[in-house]
Amino acid sequence: MYGNGMTRRQMLARAANGFGGLALLAAETKAPHFPAKAKSVIFLFMDGGPSQMDTFDPKPRLTRDAGQPLPFKPPTTVFNISDKIFGSPFTFRKHGQSGADVSDLFPHVAGCADDLCIVRSMVADHSEHTAANYFIHSGSGFQGRPSMGAWITYGLGSASDNLPGFIVLESGLIPPGGVDCFGSGFLPASFQGTVMRNTAHPIADLEPLDKEPALQKGKLDLLAKLNRGVVERFGQVSEIDATIRNYELAFRMQSEVPDLLDFSKESEATKKLYGLDEEITSEFGRECLIARRLVERGVRFVELLSPARKGIDRWDQHGSLEDGHRVNAKSTDKPIAALLRDLKARGMLDRTLVVWGGEFGRTPCAQFPDGGYVKRVGRDHNPFGFTMWMAGGGVKGGMTHGATDEFGYFAVENKVHMHDLHATMLHLLGMDHKRLTYRYSGRDMRLTDVHGNVVKEILA
Amino acid sequence: MLFWTLLPLALAAQSGDEFFEKKIRPVLVEKCYACHGSKTAAPMGGLRVDSAEGLRKGGDTGPAVVPKEPEKSLLLKAIRYSDLNLRMPPTGKLTDGQIADFEEWIRQGAADPRAATAQAPAARQGIDWAEARKHWAFRPIRKPAVPEGPSPVDAFLSAKGMKLSPAADKRVWLRRVTFDLTGLPPTRAEIAEYLGDTSGGADRKVVERLLASPQYGERWARHWLDLVRFAETNGHEFDNDKLDAWRYRDYVIRAFNEDVPYTQFVKEHLAGDLLAARVSKDGAHLESPLGTSWMWFGEVLNSATDSVKSRADMVDNQIDVMGKTFLGLTTACARCHDHKFDPIPTADYYGLAGIFHSTYVREAVIDSPQRAAQIATVSRRFPSPAKTPAAAVVTPREGDVIFESEWTATGQAFGPAPGGVFDSRAAGSDQFVGSLTSRKFKMPKLWVHVRMGGSAQDKANLRVTVVADDHKSEHFYTSGKPGMEWKTLRMTKEIGRTCYFEIVDRSRSGHIAVERIVLSDSETPPRVETEGSGRAMAISGGFAQPEPTVPESAFGMIAKEEDPHDVKLHIRGSHQNLGAEVPRHFLQLIAGEKQPPIERGSGRLELAGWVAAESNPLMARVMVNRIWKHHFGQGIVRSADNFGKLGDAPSDPALLDYLAAEFGERGWSVKQMHRLIVLSAAYRRADFPVRRLEAEAIRDSVLAVSGRLDKTLYGPGVTPHISRYQEGRGKPASGPLDGNARRSLYIQVRRNFLTPMFLAFDYPLPVSTMGARGSSTVPSQALMMMNNEFVAGQARLWARRAIASESDTAKRVDSLFEEAYGRVAEDWERQESLRFLTARPGGEEQAWTDLCHVLFNSTEFVYVR
Repeated sequence: MYGNGMTRRQMLARAANGFGGLALLAAETKAPHFPAKAKSVIFLFMDGGPSQMDTFDPKPRLTRDAGQPLPFKPPTTVFNISDKIFGSPFTFRKHGQSGADVSDLFPHVAGCADDLCIVRSMVADHSEHTAANYFIHSGSGFQGRPSMGAWITYGLGSASDNLPGFIVLESGLIPPGGVDCFGSGFLPASFQGTVMRNTAHPIADLEPLDKEPALQKGKLDLLAKLNRGVVERFGQVSEIDATIRNYELAFRMQSEVPDLLDFSKESEATKKLYGLDEEITSEFGRECLIARRLVERGVRFVELLSPARKGIDRWDQHGSLEDGHRVNAKSTDKPIAALLRDLKARGMLDRTLVVWGGEFGRTPCAQFPDGGYVKRVGRDHNPFGFTMWMAGGGVKGGMTHGATDEFGYFAVENKVHMHDLHATMLHLLGMDHKRLTYRYSGRDMRLTDVHGNVVKEILA
Repeated sequence: MLFWTLLPLALAAQSGDEFFEKKIRPVLVEKCYACHGSKTAAPMGGLRVDSAEGLRKGGDTGPAVVPKEPEKSLLLKAIRYSDLNLRMPPTGKLTDGQIADFEEWIRQGAADPRAATAQAPAARQGIDWAEARKHWAFRPIRKPAVPEGPSPVDAFLSAKGMKLSPAADKRVWLRRVTFDLTGLPPTRAEIAEYLGDTSGGADRKVVERLLASPQYGERWARHWLDLVRFAETNGHEFDNDKLDAWRYRDYVIRAFNEDVPYTQFVKEHLAGDLLAARVSKDGAHLESPLGTSWMWFGEVLNSATDSVKSRADMVDNQIDVMGKTFLGLTTACARCHDHKFDPIPTADYYGLAGIFHSTYVREAVIDSPQRAAQIATVSRRFPSPAKTPAAAVVTPREGDVIFESEWTATGQAFGPAPGGVFDSRAAGSDQFVGSLTSRKFKMPKLWVHVRMGGSAQDKANLRVTVVADDHKSEHFYTSGKPGMEWKTLRMTKEIGRTCYFEIVDRSRSGHIAVERIVLSDSETPPRVETEGSGRAMAISGGFAQPEPTVPESAFGMIAKEEDPHDVKLHIRGSHQNLGAEVPRHFLQLIAGEKQPPIERGSGRLELAGWVAAESNPLMARVMVNRIWKHHFGQGIVRSADNFGKLGDAPSDPALLDYLAAEFGERGWSVKQMHRLIVLSAAYRRADFPVRRLEAEAIRDSVLAVSGRLDKTLYGPGVTPHISRYQEGRGKPASGPLDGNARRSLYIQVRRNFLTPMFLAFDYPLPVSTMGARGSSTVPSQALMMMNNEFVAGQARLWARRAIASESDTAKRVDSLFEEAYGRVAEDWERQESLRFLTARPGGEEQAWTDLCHVLFNSTEFVYVR
């Protein structure tokens, strides 16, 4: 069962971990389990947990009963302060032919309503940020499991010669749990997310130490000679060979990344579309535009992190929800809509799965001023029912799936557990989540652990 | 018959069977069969709903359907969604009409015409222990006869048909053995000494020198730290410190250097606080309790909404690490079900869980008896306080509870019999340190008010801490204001959790005084009726001047016994689904089916006895395999942490057992095992496997070659360097770029801010046992070696040193090659290097810096053969 039954993927993984690992870095694509709809994923991670009843899941009952206590005892929450209902301060309207409900937080995304598959019945397992962040990324609430970007790159290989297959873009805000949210866990390190900072210097140690190319070339030439000597002395060892070739990839990355960030060939209209000309949208606009350019270059999994806004703690509005959500929405709404429209116009949306959402949603209750914790009204964490949406990559557009109860607290209809979302994402990429395995700690590990069902209803 | 008239008309007209076929079966088929059908090998919750029998018999929690008793039928409870933890179908609630149908159907007697064709879940089969123990790893160790040969190790290998290739060059062997035993490259002087030694015993002399060097313990301690997922912070949102974790790291270094017998080392890990104490060589502190620190290196949730689960998760991680580290068993697989491959029933898991659930962490002074006596002697030279001060009188309001407890004191700050006001100057000076630990209790109130006073101090050193589920959760700090004051904190995260208070004084120049702790429903503290006399103690002055110096104390994060208890079996691993209570016991596989009951204490003492029993074959086999692995790159058993059925079989069982038997015969001496292995011909051969150095060895080599390496041993970790690319909560102020040139194992292991250079070279995340690191190839490795300012800076130091120490350029090139690779430069290498130097602009130092930088980047720098 073990020795002979090792799958090709495990063989590759073993190989990658010891011998000839470079093969996986330099554009070796691997066949999916079955024909795929999506080739790449762009994950718009809304760090902190946007509120479902203020974005895509209107709850008139909350407006009606505002200030009343909930008619049931809610589960323990992180702050556990209040059970008083808080009606949404935002207005909802129906959009597109599908008539999707979107609040006035997202006027631009609302314009893409017919491309969205809004899942209102997401369920996760953790109420605490870090555990929830590990969970949405890796399917486990603990540190140390591979992130979905690592799993997907492991499963499909990279389609880029010059860039890693899993790239995370950040603008100064790393979610609780740190870079382990993007780790490769027990998978070989070659699948770990490369974190790129949204600045002129995006990757640590990428810029050549030698300011003139000729100087670096001089070093690399001598290095190549010394390495040839090593091969003679040590014999033909594939690990040594891989290490030597790894320098070549690193060298190519040094020139590929500046090219990636060079927007001079993008039209003014495109730059404007992404909001690069406005202060509030320019940061996330750049992330979204870079994401498109990464996908064009064959990068498998791109994750965009929320921009850092002064005085606003991600989407985590325990207090001042109205102001905080407005700023967060304003800084991301236009860029996200631009990304969807741009991908569509270039014919890339069909093969790019865009996923939007946070690690959990929020409670229908108000976190009132209390003990100095909260200044103005906000909402606590709620993993029991919240909204995420997907677009492109083989999901049905113009669709709303699942429902929460009338308070928006619990998912009650067509629940989609986080494991189900992972299973569905893998399915869209052509992989059976039960067959994408890696032997570790005495068993075949999966992104979905022992859970997960593909949500067939939302497949196009 | 009256009964029937109450029914809906439609149902009354139907037979029960018809009703079932129309209303019930379709729902079961559509919503339930996928997870609860007989086609699934292991139906969820052990429940099968595709037969009448399955429904009535039910699953792990009892019958799903009790005919005519809707309120006793779990099925109905589940579909009503009335219980947060039992909601079916999980994908969404059935319609109200469907739920009403189920209710009626059950009330009517739950007619179910389905044939009992569906198989009932296979009855749990008992384990055939005699059969189970036949697996190679579980059999007793039998020392095989040693085949003919030059050395036992070689004899076994050649008996297996391995042809020994010619011996490697002496320089290659020296580099190999030096890295293996110390993690550093051989110096030029060491190379010269070895090559010049023609006495015949040169190899042995080298090995003895390396084993005696303190760097040996550092190297092998780091291997060990991989097993116990060593970390110095909690991770999660704020990445709080784990105080005194570094003391454990130093304990391990000393244990390897002093060659503490492995059985003793293992016992100290499990029960070091309960054994007859082993005192440090310098006589200052107790060593053995420090072994227990490993239990708390796991990650900690900072705001658990389900404390029972978070504690269960912590215990699970402890069992996982213990099982893999000492036994090579994936014991934690038995948390939710009997282990699928190895003879570990779930009951054994919960037998172990009870032991860990009965164990708590505490922050304690671990002075040796000698040191404690010295401190006591000094304390007698201080005037003792006239009398124990009286605490303030506080009248509790409704909803107030004045906290009372027995307190356990360590250290001498709080005096011999703390009472009244706890004052850490009770021994007569601010210099004394110590801790007080209360009994455990379930936090009953949302507010805690502490009436306290003390010096203005570095926060971590003077405090009252609320420890919730073994996690330092909230702190009340001294303010430095004269007199006593109320301090109040909200117990948002702690209410309902198992808590205790710690009053800690780690300061040699400050003190803390606590006179009342009130647990309250109210946000405001109660009124003080009469001030206490503790006030006088809280202001300074009145001590002997100049003060005699109190000897230093050491603190440790160590285990504590309290409230030993058995735990209930968690059905399917869920703490919300409890089965029968399981007496604390050890794995039956090793300790047998009949074990004497644990009558006193947590059971850790017994656990230590079982794990470290000489009759436990896993303890020795697993450890000698680890030693072999770190010398040959791969273990005799490749799956170093899994000796179970799914692990790899030993490539040479006789050799493994020979080593395991020798281990015992040589007094469980790890150093003896090194001697046995590294002096063999197999270890000397020329075609030795090529291995990449570990992350730490790479960084340490850079520092060693540059000449900057600081070989200082021990002490609190160096804060890691934080680059502008590292962000996130709990980010520490950056430490120095070169880590003060200390060896890598002294760089603090901050869970959320692990050193990027280490991560690039397969440093393991501190989550569970890692007996065999990966060795992968990623671009960040090359980028780091090429462009990182640390590497470049060390190249410059190396160049400067070389220029200063050798004026002849050709000889200088030779010295660089020998320092980096332990060998002489070949002619063409020397010429290419000299040609390179002349082509570089920027002057002599820059040119040599560039050459040194290239030499760091050669694959030969990071590979050993």
